[in-house]
Amino acid sequence: MKKLGVCLSLITLLLCVVSCMEDQDFDQYKDLSVVPVYESSILYLESTEDVINNVPPGPFYSQDFSFNAFSEAVFSDRVLDGVITYEVENTTSKPLSLTLEFLNDADEVLDAEPFTIDPAPSGTLQRDVAYGNTGKSLDIIRNTSKIRVVAVNEGNSTSTSNVSPPLVIFKSSGKFSLRVK
Amino acid sequence: MRKYSLIFILIAFVCHFVTGQNKQLLYDFSEIPQSLLINPGTETDFQWYSGVPLLSGVSLQAGSSGISVNDLFANDGIDFNDKVRDRLINGMSPKDDLSGTYQIELINIGYRGSETDNFYSFGIYNEGDAIGYWFKDYAKLGFEGNADNLNNRFNLSHLKTRGEILNVFHFGVTKEIDNKLTFGVRGKLYSGILDFTSTKNKGYFVTTEGQNNLLANTISADLELKSSGIITLDHVIDGDSSAGDMIKRGFFGGDLGLGVDLGFTYHLNEQTVITGSLLDLGFLYHSTDVLSYTLKGNATVEGVEIILPDAINDPNADFWQDLVDEVEGLLPFEENRKSYITFRPTKLYGSLRYNFGETVQSKGRLDCDCNLSGGKSNRAKYANGLGGQLYVINRPRGPQAALSAFYQRRFGNIMAVKTTYTIDKYSYSNVGLGLSLQAGPINMYFMADNLLAYRNIAASNYASFQLGINIISWGKN
Repeated sequence: MKKLGVCLSLITLLLCVVSCMEDQDFDQYKDLSVVPVYESSILYLESTEDVINNVPPGPFYSQDFSFNAFSEAVFSDRVLDGVITYEVENTTSKPLSLTLEFLNDADEVLDAEPFTIDPAPSGTLQRDVAYGNTGKSLDIIRNTSKIRVVAVNEGNSTSTSNVSPPLVIFKSSGKFSLRVK
Repeated sequence: MRKYSLIFILIAFVCHFVTGQNKQLLYDFSEIPQSLLINPGTETDFQWYSGVPLLSGVSLQAGSSGISVNDLFANDGIDFNDKVRDRLINGMSPKDDLSGTYQIELINIGYRGSETDNFYSFGIYNEGDAIGYWFKDYAKLGFEGNADNLNNRFNLSHLKTRGEILNVFHFGVTKEIDNKLTFGVRGKLYSGILDFTSTKNKGYFVTTEGQNNLLANTISADLELKSSGIITLDHVIDGDSSAGDMIKRGFFGGDLGLGVDLGFTYHLNEQTVITGSLLDLGFLYHSTDVLSYTLKGNATVEGVEIILPDAINDPNADFWQDLVDEVEGLLPFEENRKSYITFRPTKLYGSLRYNFGETVQSKGRLDCDCNLSGGKSNRAKYANGLGGQLYVINRPRGPQAALSAFYQRRFGNIMAVKTTYTIDKYSYSNVGLGLSLQAGPINMYFMADNLLAYRNIAASNYASFQLGINIISWGKN
C-alpha cells in the first residue's frame, strides 16, 4: 500500500514537473477599466395652446417633482461625465420661456437651464449641456433629487396658431459615463 | 469526393457539439472497478472489490470553450482592456461555456453473487456539476452601455446557467446474459444539497428613438432563477448555521430524486466488441430551502412625462414615483418558494473496440472454461484494444458530444494503459493517458486528459484527471 502511494505521488509529481506555464501577470486585472455609457430620456413636457390661453399671460405651468435617478448611489457614486440633450419645438403662436431647475433635498436650486422659445414657425431648439470635465459641475447632477419646471407665456392669451395641432413640446435625454471598475 | 465531403461534414457536426464532462479514459477500462459507474454493463472478472473510502474515485474536470487564462493574463505587453474587449466581450459567443465537474466516491463496493453471472455494486458518491454559458449581451451592456447602440437588441436569453451539488446513493446489477452479451442496470437515489438553474430565459433590452421623447428604453423579459439550498449555504457562511446542516441535506435531509443507468457490452465476434451506456436518466425534485426569482413583463420608458392639461388637473402628482410604480407593475421582480424539478444531465456513451494480439489470461473464476470463446467474465483478454468512443451529454443549449479514438494495451495482469485522442470544442489536440496498476489485491489508477496542453497549462481550455485506489479480489485464494 505504501509503495502504491509513493508511485501515485510520483506520477502526480511527474505531471507537475513536465507541465509548464508561460509567464502570467494576474496583476493586469488592476488595469481593467470598465466605463460604460448609458443614455435614457429624462423629461417630456407637452402643452396645447388652449392650456396657455386659458390663463392670463405669464406663468401657465409650474411644478416641482421628485427625480431620484441622479441621486441614486449606483449612479451618483459612479458618474464621470455626461451630456443632457434638450429639444424644444413650439408650434403655438406665442413666444414662450421655459426654465428647468435642478434642486437638492433642501429644495435649493443647484442649477437652472432657461429656454427662450420663439412663436411658430420657430423650428426646433436644440441644446447640449455637458457635465464633468470642461462642462458644468458634476455635483449638480449628483445632488439633484428634484426638478422644477416653470413655463411662461411671454405673449398674449388670445392668439391662435394656424399650425395644427398647436403645441409646445419639450424633450430631454441624458448620456452619462459611469465608472464600474 | 462525395464520401470525403460527408466525412468532413460529420466531423464538423460532431466537433460543433463537443464538450467536456467526459470520462473517455475510464470508459470500458474493465481493469478498474469504477468503469462500472460509467457503464453498468462492463464485463468484469472480479470476485469482489472495495474502494478505499474517499480515495477510490476522485475526478475533476474543468473547461472553457472560448478563452483560456493565457488569453487574458499572458505577460505579452498587450493592454489588458484590449484583451478583455477583443477576446472576452467580443471574442466569445453565447455558445461558449465555462464548465466544471467533480466527483468523490465515499463508498464503492462490488461483489459477485452466488449466481456467478451476476455482479452487484453499490456505493455513495458526492458530485458537483456546473455550467455557465457566456452571457455575451449582458457583458456587452455592462462593458459598453446602451449609448451608441440604438436599435441594437441585447438578448436576455444569453443568461443560461445551471449547477448542482448532490450525493448519489446507487446500487447496480451487472448480468452476463450469455457469452456475447453483458447487461447492467444501476438504480440511483439522489440527495440534493445545492442547486441553481436559470436556463429558460427570454427577452431583450433595446434603446430606440422615442415615440414622444428623444429615446425609449424597452425591456421585454421572461427571466427566472431557481435555487434550493442557497439559504442554508448563506446561513452557514454567515455562521448562523453549522456546516452539518449542509451535510444533512446530502443524506436525505434535502431534495430527493431518482435515476437509472443502463449499459451493455456485446461481442459482435471474437475480437470486436460494441458497448453503450445511458447514465443519469433521472430527476431531482427540489422542495426544500427553495428560493426563486422571476422578472417577467414588458415595459417601455421615455422618462418622466408631463402632459398638459392632465398634469394641471392633478397638481399633487408624483411623476417620478408614478413612473417607478408603472415600471414595477409592468415588469414585476418577484420572489417565490415554489418547488421545482430538474432533470439530471443525462450522458450517453458508446464504443466500438477491436481486440488483437496475444491474450492475457483472466484472473477471475478459474472454475470456468477459460478460453477466447469461452465467454463470460472468465474470458481471456487480448493485450491490445483499438477503437472509437462517442460521448453525448444533455446540456441547457442542447446535446453536446465528444468523439474519441483509443488504444489500450495490457501488460499481463499487472498493468494496463489506455490512451485517447479526443476532439471537442475545447481542443482538437486532446491526448489523454490512463494507467491502471495492480499490485496483488491493490489496484491503483491515474488518468489525465489534454496532456499536450501541459506545455503551457495556462493556455489550456480543458483539464481533467481521475485517480483512485481499490482492493480487488478474484477469489483464487
